[in-house]
Amino acid sequence: MSTPLIGVSKSILKIKELIKHVANTCLNVLITGETGVGKEVVAQSLYTESARSSKNFVKINCAALPETLLESELYGYEKGAFTGAHKKRPGKFQTADKGVLFLDEIGDMPLALQSKMLHVLQSGEFSPLGSDQEFKTDVWVIAATNHNLEESMAKKTFREDLFYRLNIIKIEIPPLRERKEDIPSLIEYYFRLYKSEYPDNLGSRPDSDVLAKLCNYPWPGNVRQLQNCIKKQMILNSWEKIFEELPKEHPEINSPLLNENQQNGSSYYTNNGFSNDRTRIISEFVDLSTSSDKLFEDISLKKIKKLASDKVEKEVITFVLEKVGWNRSRASKILKISYKTLLYKMNEFEVHPPVK
Amino acid sequence: MTEANKLLIVDDNEEIISVFYEFFNSLGYEVKTAGDGLAALKLLKDKSNFFDCLITDLVMPNIGGVGLISIVKKEYPDMKIIAMTGYGDYPGALASEAKADVVLFKPVELSKIENKVLELINQKHDKQ
Repeated sequence: MSTPLIGVSKSILKIKELIKHVANTCLNVLITGETGVGKEVVAQSLYTESARSSKNFVKINCAALPETLLESELYGYEKGAFTGAHKKRPGKFQTADKGVLFLDEIGDMPLALQSKMLHVLQSGEFSPLGSDQEFKTDVWVIAATNHNLEESMAKKTFREDLFYRLNIIKIEIPPLRERKEDIPSLIEYYFRLYKSEYPDNLGSRPDSDVLAKLCNYPWPGNVRQLQNCIKKQMILNSWEKIFEELPKEHPEINSPLLNENQQNGSSYYTNNGFSNDRTRIISEFVDLSTSSDKLFEDISLKKIKKLASDKVEKEVITFVLEKVGWNRSRASKILKISYKTLLYKMNEFEVHPPVK
Repeated sequence: MTEANKLLIVDDNEEIISVFYEFFNSLGYEVKTAGDGLAALKLLKDKSNFFDCLITDLVMPNIGGVGLISIVKKEYPDMKIIAMTGYGDYPGALASEAKADVVLFKPVELSKIENKVLELINQKHDKQ
């Protein structure tokens, strides 16, 4: 069974409405959004709502396969088309005929295959590898990507003509941190799902404090990360441990400012949404847990500027050094600083080559 | 007095919408507007057979112009459609493929659009 599209936020409701309007048009769809937001769930919903739901839903991940393999997976091949092609094999375009072909990670498709894809979308015909025959295909193409394809087009890594041909219907799924009101219903859904799969599990539902914390976490891995957390909870039955294991680049989960907010208002998504992004950035350089008086004393723009620029400099220097195999004179040229300055900075920021 | 011609104008740029609205309204047209393809489809569903002509931008969120044209030409084959684009050749070509009656490339003079609107509406009436 496919996962339903869950959420009560304005953006999810709009997507549901859009799905209803376009599910029977068979117009090409492009779904965009960060990793883990549920692009495949949306594709599945389109398929389920359409008249094609009795036919196949065929998925292919364009990033997971090397170019030649991706090509033979998509279009199939004739016996003897290449070494190892012992017998004829149908491609995804054939298996998806009259149904849906879901092209995941389309932004990672190599350019050569993009032009072939464009040809199929324009003509509705394809030919398997090693065959000189063209076959008609009737597939509904739904593509998805976490790339910004406008940027990829500017960098010439994605064909403009293919982009416009896919972008007939565009469904943009916002990250979970921008639709926190969906978090409680997602938790409830996955909780029930795992409870029914493993009825013996003891994992408890979150109480209101835990729920508040869950709603305030920024979920960089989006719904998939939240889903994994619920699954883990079913086994560990300790929200404390779950929180310990969440990536800590986002200290606001424990930030005192947030806790204050939570105590004052019972609402678990603070009305300033993620103005806590600001809190997070500031807290990297200033201790926000101190009293206001002390805090204001500590905030010196000059001091913060130094700390912030040091932090970025350190990362950039390490990045360049790693790229050039720790060749310091090359790195200094790239960074446009003197060799001496580079050595000084490496020493100051404690940037050391890896010990072999 | 003859009945006013009815236009549906679709663009995600509010400024363009308001300029078009003012212009056609002052010429005596009855004008409705929508900010994207989905909103336009909902208006068309509520008022089927109401509009004489649809003027749509092509690159828009959710249902883009090309999608809107394809759906409208299928559901309301008599609707006259003018597509406008500022994004180079590809969307324009797709709009023609989707059977837009006229494709215009931005920037385009409003009076020229009005001429096209009149031409299309006359064609429609002649046919009827």
